[in-house]
Amino acid sequence: MLVTKNVAELCSLLIDELYGELPSRIFSILLTRGRSSIPQLVQYTDMSLCELRHGLAVLLQQNLLFYQVDSNSEKAMYEANTDHAYNLLRIGKILEMVDSSFGAPAKDVMQSLLLLGQTRISDLVAAYQEKIDQAHQKLVKEEADPFLETNGVNGDSHAPKRLDLVIKTTAQLNSVICRLVEAELIDVVHAKTFLTPDDIYRDVEKEVLDTHFPGGPKGGKAKIELEEKIAEGLRKVRGESKSLKRKLEQNGTAAKRRKLFSGGGLSNGVHDVELDPALDPKQVIRINYEKCLVDLRNRRLVQCVTDTIGDTTAYVYGVLLKLLTKQLPRCRSDPMMDITEDDKDDCGKGFVTTDEILDSLKTSVDLSVGLGKAAKDKFSSRAAEKVSGHPPKKKIILEAEIDGDASADEEEEDEGSESDESDSDSDHKPANGTKVKFAGVATKENRLDRPGQLRQHLLLLAESNQHFVRHCGYNDWTVDFVPLMDVLREAELDSVIERKSGRQGLRLVRILRAKGKLDEKTLPNLALMKKNEIQQKMLEMQTAGFIQVQEVPRDNKADVKKSFFLWFVDLEKSINTLLDTSYKAMLRCVQVLEVIRQKEKDVLLLTKRSDVRGRERDVMRKEYYDRYARFQANEKKLFAQVMRIDDLVALLRDF
Amino acid sequence: MSGRGGRGGRGRGGGFGRGGGRSIAQNNVPWTTDSEIVLDGKPSELFPRYNVPIAPSLSKKEEKQVSFFLLFREQCHDGPLYTQPRTWTSTATGKRGRTYGQEQINNRYGKTSKATDDPFTAVQRYSQKYTKAERTLPDLESRPFAKEFFPQELHATLDGDDAPTSGPAHKRRKTGPKTLALSSITSLKTAEELFLDEAEQKDKDGNYDKALQLLNTVEKRVEDGDDQGMLSGEDDDDWVKNNDDEDGEGQIEEDDQYEEEYESGDDYNAEAYFDGNQDDDDYGDDGGDDGGEYM
Repeated sequence: MLVTKNVAELCSLLIDELYGELPSRIFSILLTRGRSSIPQLVQYTDMSLCELRHGLAVLLQQNLLFYQVDSNSEKAMYEANTDHAYNLLRIGKILEMVDSSFGAPAKDVMQSLLLLGQTRISDLVAAYQEKIDQAHQKLVKEEADPFLETNGVNGDSHAPKRLDLVIKTTAQLNSVICRLVEAELIDVVHAKTFLTPDDIYRDVEKEVLDTHFPGGPKGGKAKIELEEKIAEGLRKVRGESKSLKRKLEQNGTAAKRRKLFSGGGLSNGVHDVELDPALDPKQVIRINYEKCLVDLRNRRLVQCVTDTIGDTTAYVYGVLLKLLTKQLPRCRSDPMMDITEDDKDDCGKGFVTTDEILDSLKTSVDLSVGLGKAAKDKFSSRAAEKVSGHPPKKKIILEAEIDGDASADEEEEDEGSESDESDSDSDHKPANGTKVKFAGVATKENRLDRPGQLRQHLLLLAESNQHFVRHCGYNDWTVDFVPLMDVLREAELDSVIERKSGRQGLRLVRILRAKGKLDEKTLPNLALMKKNEIQQKMLEMQTAGFIQVQEVPRDNKADVKKSFFLWFVDLEKSINTLLDTSYKAMLRCVQVLEVIRQKEKDVLLLTKRSDVRGRERDVMRKEYYDRYARFQANEKKLFAQVMRIDDLVALLRDF
Repeated sequence: MSGRGGRGGRGRGGGFGRGGGRSIAQNNVPWTTDSEIVLDGKPSELFPRYNVPIAPSLSKKEEKQVSFFLLFREQCHDGPLYTQPRTWTSTATGKRGRTYGQEQINNRYGKTSKATDDPFTAVQRYSQKYTKAERTLPDLESRPFAKEFFPQELHATLDGDDAPTSGPAHKRRKTGPKTLALSSITSLKTAEELFLDEAEQKDKDGNYDKALQLLNTVEKRVEDGDDQGMLSGEDDDDWVKNNDDEDGEGQIEEDDQYEEEYESGDDYNAEAYFDGNQDDDDYGDDGGDDGGEYM
């Protein structure tokens, strides 16, 4: 796993921020030197063996390292896991996401897990048990002697009758873990978790070669077979982390599980909690960042829809995405492993039906909000209800007659027959009519109308420029994540370009995107701009990395004056440049924080004291407190900035 | 344009001619032909005004995310795996500079040992009672690990057998099953929250009311002409005292206090200070009194 200097520094600074200097130092050395053993690390870092071992243990516990044990010498080689280190930055987002979609108890468990690193279930249960017991004891003590704690620091001492714990029983803990496991946010640590992907590949390849092809693969057919076998083996290894989920699915009845899922965090009754199967206490669990990213992507998309269309539509979209991505393990499919799996997914459950969405919608949401009214003759319901059965990439043309006014970049396949069309018309139009009639008057009528309204929201999504949703059957909806994310990525890049080099720069980039490679001389004509203006702008953008230039000599001598200079846009490259700039910006933010900390050292030292902590305002002198408050505000702003930039990075790199 | 021309002119006046161009330059420079040009001899601004883009303020969601992250960090720092000392920044000033290789990078990090202790702060003082003890190594033995997922060579470390000086004093092993400690920090109090809490607590605690009361009584007594024991009223007294005790205002605050004492020449209080601390302070025994006897 190769990373740029900026990512490397950012990762080690993040570890420093969270876990202290010792692990961070080792991590940065591992990043610069690559895979190393302990003796090598001693040589590199000048640290003592004992320090190194402690630091490595901490890093391993937090899942920040890969290691491989040599079978002969029993010595381990360590390697940095940059993805996980970078994900430390997203902890705030992940926790917020879990908090809002699974409730406070789930967030508490997630936080504990993040804090503890990989944890055996029995240990986690014991830890919670201890906390609950302590709280109980305190409660009993308070009840026995109400005067004991009269002027406590926490002002709510008048209401100590109930436990202020988020997780109240171990049974509840168990159920929360079950739900998180089912959502794949938690997975199981297994023997191969700590091997790098390359190592796993090598192991699987070796095994397949030994068992199936003892003499080596011969011929093209055998090679393809070998690849398939390896992919299968890799999938098997990857599936091991989902063992707990599979076991849960075998045990529990699916209907009950579904109820649990849609029930939300706090509405879980006690009897529901009791029903959950006990988890194997021997299993070791950890956070599955890949799935977290899928959920974060959903949120991002919903945010996008909120910005472009509206709140209600965004809510509908959120429900759709949640249903659709329930079985989606990661944002980007692995090119090696998922070739066959993709097809399987398409056959199985690649879409969501209107009824499913309708079932999961909260009844309190008024779907009539956010829909416009249009006269019957102002739109073509036929074009609106157009069904496109295949993702845009495949481009299958069966009927070309309807194309003309609708989106030109995508060939649609019209599956619906004429009767279907008229059906949808009759379904669609009255819905519109009633809405005009009863706008905000009778809720009962609106309730009856829900499927129609939902349908209109979905059609709105399908019609949008970004193609948030694909209408893949009369009642089926799906999302083509790959092209959709490409569109969003480009939009993000465009906004950065506009910000940096103005509207004209953006215009030039768009021209280049549409026309491909353009000569210096033809560009001014096309762009209707002055030549020197263009040259200046282009140079500016080239240094920023948004466009590239290619030199094509006219003859063998490669005379500069005679050569062509072709401007062109390389999306991949400009995204990578932008990514690296973003890393750098984040790195600077964290570094600035360190500088501020150094500046306000005396104040911060004071706030670390146990008697000052938590009640800084009471205890500290005003000028000191003001400095401290200012520092806190700055810290917050800096981290917020880092997280904002991370939004960009996530979109460009991970989604 | 005029700015640039001006600078070039000065250069030439000082005798920096540029070979072939000189004869033309002397006649054809703009300001010899055009008398209306005013030369702008000012140097260009070192730090020209730059329009710094200001980030929009945090949305509610972002606020939440950041506070979750900060709370998580706080809990991390509270946990057993965190190692506090930052040698890099504390000793960096002299050693910072260019790094040409690993050696320089390693030099950036100081070493914390007995030799690097600051003699002025290393002696324990009463005010350090509240400072958190720093750890140079993570406290691994206090918590259980899933050992099968660690390489063999780290197992001893996980058990806590890897202490640098494993003398008898360090063998204070915890007996019985280890349990993970969940962090007891459950909320990150920001400045505003704390303020709000305080406002809520006002009527509950009565601190605020008491303060008001006190002020009132003081005013009344001053009015009455009774300025002798105005702060030693029976019911007011404990509030003042409590408040003082709670005010561990830190070293700087205390230093101020000492300075004042010193200036006033009243050493009675200072002695009381040392006497009061003899129990806590190991260094108190070989203080001034013993020295006096030997003299």
